[in-house]
Amino acid sequence: MTSLFTDISQEVVSGIALGSIYALIALGFILIYKATEVVNFAQGELMMVGAYVNFFLIQAFTGSLGVPTIWTFIFGLIGSMIFAVIFGWFLDMIINRPMRDEPVFSIIMATISIGIVLRALVGLIAGPMSLVPKSPFGGAYIELGGIIISVLDLFIIGSAVVLVSVFYYFFNRTRWGIAMQATSEDPIAAQLMGVPVTKVYSLVWIFAAIVAAVSGVLLAPRAAILDTNMGFLGLKAFPAAVLGGFGSIPGAIIGGVILGVIETISMGTLSFHFSWVKEINDIIVWIVLIAVLMIKPTGIMGTEEIKKV
Amino acid sequence: MKGRYQDENLKWIPALIALVILLPFMLKGMTFSYKYYLYILNTIGIYIILTVGLDILSGYTGLISLGHAGFLAIGAYTSAILVDQVGLPFGLSLIISPLIAGLFGFVIGFPALRISGMYLGLTTMGFGFIIRRLIIALREWTQGSGGLVVSSPELFGFTIKGDWANYFLVWTFAVLTIVASRRMMKSKIGRAFMAIRDSEQAAEASGINLAQYKMMSFFISGVFAGLAGVLMAHTNHFISTDHFDNMLSIYFIIMVLVGGIGSIYGAVLGTIFIVFLENLIVPVIEELLHAMFQVEAGDIESLIFGLIMFLFIIFQPTGLYGMWLKVRIYWKLFPFNPKQRFT
Repeated sequence: MTSLFTDISQEVVSGIALGSIYALIALGFILIYKATEVVNFAQGELMMVGAYVNFFLIQAFTGSLGVPTIWTFIFGLIGSMIFAVIFGWFLDMIINRPMRDEPVFSIIMATISIGIVLRALVGLIAGPMSLVPKSPFGGAYIELGGIIISVLDLFIIGSAVVLVSVFYYFFNRTRWGIAMQATSEDPIAAQLMGVPVTKVYSLVWIFAAIVAAVSGVLLAPRAAILDTNMGFLGLKAFPAAVLGGFGSIPGAIIGGVILGVIETISMGTLSFHFSWVKEINDIIVWIVLIAVLMIKPTGIMGTEEIKKV
Repeated sequence: MKGRYQDENLKWIPALIALVILLPFMLKGMTFSYKYYLYILNTIGIYIILTVGLDILSGYTGLISLGHAGFLAIGAYTSAILVDQVGLPFGLSLIISPLIAGLFGFVIGFPALRISGMYLGLTTMGFGFIIRRLIIALREWTQGSGGLVVSSPELFGFTIKGDWANYFLVWTFAVLTIVASRRMMKSKIGRAFMAIRDSEQAAEASGINLAQYKMMSFFISGVFAGLAGVLMAHTNHFISTDHFDNMLSIYFIIMVLVGGIGSIYGAVLGTIFIVFLENLIVPVIEELLHAMFQVEAGDIESLIFGLIMFLFIIFQPTGLYGMWLKVRIYWKLFPFNPKQRFT
C-alpha cells in the first residue's frame, strides 16, 4: 500500500510542475482577456517561439549539442524575454489595434490565423526536424521520503510562483496595474479619466508574450523535445484557465495545478490500474473542460458576469 | 403560401443545376487530366455541404464551432460501420448517419445554452479532440488509428464507382443543400437564427425560444456535416482519424470566413476558392519556393492559409461574397457612385 501512496505522491509532485507551466500559459491568456476581452488562441505559438529563441541562443553559446550551464540558460531566458517584448508589441499592432471594435468571433479567428502563420514560419525557419533541448540541471534531483523531485521541476514551480506573485502584485497594487483594471472594466470611461488605453493594451500584450516565452523556455527541457507541435500544448491551458475561472489570476494557478495533477495521475496510476483510462488520458483535460462548463461555467474563482442589454 | 419567399430570387437555381451538370463535360473537352479536376470538384462538393451547415451555425446563429471535423468523422465512421459491418443498404445509411451526427450536435448544443463566445469555441474544440480519441478507442469497429476501408455505395441497384459517378452523387446533394439552406434561411427558422445572432435578449423578448432554436441550429449543422461525412467515406473509400484532424475544423472556418460569413453563397464561394488554392495554386508556389531558396519542405500551405485568413479578417470581413456585392452595386449605380461607399 505504501508503494501506491508514494506512486501517487510522486505523480502529484510532477503534476504540480506540469500544472505550473499550464498556469503560466493560462496567465498569459488571462492577462489579455482581463484587459481587452480578447482571447488569444496564439498563446501556445508564442510559447513555442520563446522556446525556439531560447534554444538557438543557447546553441550559439555552447555549440550544437552542448549542455547549457545555468548561466547560459538564464541568458537564453532573458534573450527570449527581450524578443517576446518586441513580439508582443508587434502582435498588438497587427491584431489588437485594427480589430478593437470587431466581434469576438473575428478576433478569435484572427489570433488562430496568427497561430497558424507562426507555426508554419517557425517550421520554415527551424526546419522540420524536432530539436532536443537539454536541461541546465542535468538529471539532478532531490529525494524526499521516497519521492524524487527533479531540480528542474523545482525551478519550474519556483519561477511560476514568482511570476504569478509579481503579476498579482502588479495588477492590484501598482499604478499601471490599476490602470489595466480600469481599462478592462470600461475602456471609454478609463480613457476619459486619463488612462492611456492604447499604451495599456500594448503593455498587456507584451506581458502576455513574456509569460508565454518563459513558460516555453521552462517547458522545452522538461518535455525534452522541441518542435512546432508544442503550440498545441498551449491549448491545454485553456481548460486550466476555465477551471480556475477565466479572468482570475489565482484561479489560473489553482486550475493549472489541478489539471496538471489530474493529467499525470490519470497517465500514471489510473492507467496502470484501469485499462480504460489509458484510452482517454490525453483528452482528459477536455473532458474536464466540458464538465466544468456544463456544471459551473464561471469556474472555481470566477465571478458571474452580468451582461447588460 | 404565395408571396412568402418574395425576396428570394429563384432564377439562379436552373442555371446552377445546368452548370453543375455541364461542368464535367466541359472539363473533359478542355483538359487531358480531367479526372484529377473531377476529384477536386468532388472534394469541393463534400466540403460545400459541410461549410454551408457551418455557416448556418456560425454565420446565421452566431455560435462558434471549432470542432466541425468531429461531426464529419461521426458521419463518415457511422456510415462505414453501418454499411460494411451491420449490412444496411447505403440509401438507409444516408438517412441514419447524418441524423446520428445531428444528435451529437444536439448534445453539444446543451452546453451552448449556457455559454457563448470563446467558451463555446473551446467546448467544440474539445468535442473535436474527444471524437477523434473515441474513434481510436472503439477499435473493435473502427480499426483504431489504422483507418477503415469503405465499400462503394449502392443506390437503387446501381453501384456508384469512379470519379464520374461520384461527381453526380456528391453534387446532387451539394445542390440540394445549397437550395434547401437558402430557403431555410429565408423562412421563419432563418429569421429566428439571425435574430439570435444579432441580440439574444431582443430575440427572446420577441418570443423566440432560445433553447429550441440554438439546439435546432446545432442539429441542422450536425446533419449537414454528417451527410458530408457519409459522402466522403463512400467516395474516398478510405477513412482514418488523420482525415479528421482538428486543423481541418479550422480550415472549414477559414473557408466560411474567406467566402463571407453569414451568407450561403459566401460559404460556397469560400470553399471553392480555398480548395482550388490548396490543390492547384499551393503546389505551384511550393515548387517555386523550392527552386528559389532550396528550403526543406515546410508547411507553406498553412502559412498561405493563415495569411489569407488574417488578411481577409482585417481588410475584407465580408469576404468574397461581400466583394461581389460591392461590385454589383457599383455597376448598378454606375454613373452615380458615391466614392465613400466603396472604401
